[in-house]
Amino acid sequence: MKKILIVDDEQDIVESLKFVLEAADFTCYCAYNGEDGLKLAKEIMPDLIILDVMMPKINGYKISRLLKYDKKYKDIPILMITARSQEEDKLIGEETGADEYITKPFDLNDVVNKVKEYLWKQ
Amino acid sequence: MGKILFVSNRSEKIKQYREIMKKHDFTVAESESSAIEAVEITQFDIIIFDDNLDKNIMKKLKSVTNKPSFILLTKKDKLESDKDINGFLTDDMPEELVNSAINLNLRTHKSLEQLSDTNKNLADSLYRLNVLYSTSSKFAGSLDKEKLLDYMIEGMDKSLSFDLTCTLAFCTEEQPVLILNSLYEISDELLNAIKIRTAMNYKSLFKMPLTDNIKVIKNIKYPGKSFTFSIFEYDNMFAPISAGDNFFGCIEIFKETPFTSDDATCFQTIAQQVSLPLKSATLYQEIKETNLKLEKLERLKSEFISIVSHELRTPLTAIKNSLDILSCGRCGDINDSGIKFLSMAQRNVERLSGIINDLLDLSKIEAGKMDYHFTNMNIHSVIDYVKNSLAGVANEKGLRLIAEETVNLPDINADSQRLEQVLTNLVSNAIKFTPSGKTITIRSHLADASQITTNECFKPDIDKLKGQYVIVCVEDEGIGIAQKDLLRAFDKFAQIENSLSRKAGGSGLGLPIAKQLLEAHNGAIWCDSEPEKGSRFYFALPVSQIPADEKILISN
Repeated sequence: MKKILIVDDEQDIVESLKFVLEAADFTCYCAYNGEDGLKLAKEIMPDLIILDVMMPKINGYKISRLLKYDKKYKDIPILMITARSQEEDKLIGEETGADEYITKPFDLNDVVNKVKEYLWKQ
Repeated sequence: MGKILFVSNRSEKIKQYREIMKKHDFTVAESESSAIEAVEITQFDIIIFDDNLDKNIMKKLKSVTNKPSFILLTKKDKLESDKDINGFLTDDMPEELVNSAINLNLRTHKSLEQLSDTNKNLADSLYRLNVLYSTSSKFAGSLDKEKLLDYMIEGMDKSLSFDLTCTLAFCTEEQPVLILNSLYEISDELLNAIKIRTAMNYKSLFKMPLTDNIKVIKNIKYPGKSFTFSIFEYDNMFAPISAGDNFFGCIEIFKETPFTSDDATCFQTIAQQVSLPLKSATLYQEIKETNLKLEKLERLKSEFISIVSHELRTPLTAIKNSLDILSCGRCGDINDSGIKFLSMAQRNVERLSGIINDLLDLSKIEAGKMDYHFTNMNIHSVIDYVKNSLAGVANEKGLRLIAEETVNLPDINADSQRLEQVLTNLVSNAIKFTPSGKTITIRSHLADASQITTNECFKPDIDKLKGQYVIVCVEDEGIGIAQKDLLRAFDKFAQIENSLSRKAGGSGLGLPIAKQLLEAHNGAIWCDSEPEKGSRFYFALPVSQIPADEKILISN
């Protein structure tokens, strides 16, 4: 079974993503801040990461950059969740290497389809 | 009668001339030193110089004073002209001739003196006029209060050469300012005297004691020296600086020597001239400050909307996700009324997220942060896309959505995504406001700006257009818009006041966003409608200026 890591400080959103992805036969791992997310990513080597942008401690852009510039993890697809906020606007333009951006509020079916698409590519 | 100096060392001549000149104020100098001494003390009209003496003495006298006429007393019969000499007397001249020669010279001398005085006055007046002119030009070119006051003082300094001016300005800052421009250093005593004097004069205008509150600015020309006399021994002039009801302040000017009436005129003129520019400067400053405040407010508003929208999105996502999970039946079966209320909740989540998106778009546009990706493109693709994506919604409501396009329309330079947003909004509105069974038509054509006809209220927007435009029209058979509401349709939140359209949902921001997006494309949007007879919304986009051959290069 493919492993998916969900990193978001909003527990409710993590919960709903986990529900639909598990229903689609994926194994889900969850982290609720950037630091834990990064640690977990290195520990479990997921097949795909769903990453929120605005998080305390380490934001999503930074995690994405750290992983994408590391030979060991650079091939893991990253789906970035954004609320199109002003703080995010300021960060945009930095090279993050994320494979896809999903804008809040998103459609759960769309997310599942995107995840399947990326995992089939592999 | 004139003042005459006779310079000679011949006693017989001295005696003779003393006799001839007895009607005049006659002085004799027998040596170089006594002649120079005499010239230094007295201003002579005529100096008669004996040729018997060394000519260099005359040169020395000339260097001390240039004013008197120089007459040479000579033995020679033949007279040589000399630029230093105004006339000649010979030794053998009869007494009458000497007298008439002297008188003639005196008269000429007096006339010359008068002429030179008049000339000096004229030059003076001309200089003052010049100063007044340059001062008033400077006034006209400035909207800065401090500079205006500086120019006023500068103009007065040049034209009146004062010893001290005191300018009391009320309106420059919160507290009154006393500006002192002075030749010499002002002692504490003198400063106090001036302050008390000012306070006494204007105490009715201020509630607080003016002497403590007043701010003093001193400009001293020669700080090494200080005034030795009390300021009240000086001659002074005073003028208010006011324009209409605005009393700006006043100026007082002091001088050791008395002022003339010309001085007074000049002074009044400058004080009057500065009044109007000062008023303009005050107004200008007020407008500038208000503008700054408004700009700040506008920025805060945009930031506020952006932050709020972001904060709304995250909980909204959680709600939407939960509803989606429930409605797909993964948490067990739901009965019919449960489905009804679930879909109601879902519909309203969609609506809320639409409103948040619109708010964000509008605040982005207004903050100038909207990104546009302009490319050379054809309007057909946009119309096709919108027609296909909304055909389903129209069908559900029992409406016909058709496109009547002009073929081979020229390309436009635009952001296709933004145009899709605009057209989607117009067609969605048409679907919302048209009852079932009717038709909605999307049309396109090419027109010159001069051919566009529209309702009077959109004229200013249309008048800005020049050249060829691709025009898209969305026509419906819906409820229409009353004449008076046409322009308001493009105002932010206009829909909120209209309960009928509120039922149809939406943020009321779609049209204002469309308007701004089209303005960013150098285009325009307008509409044409009558209640119960349907509406036609038009938008125009300028034909791309990139020539056809370059287009091929780009597409290759």
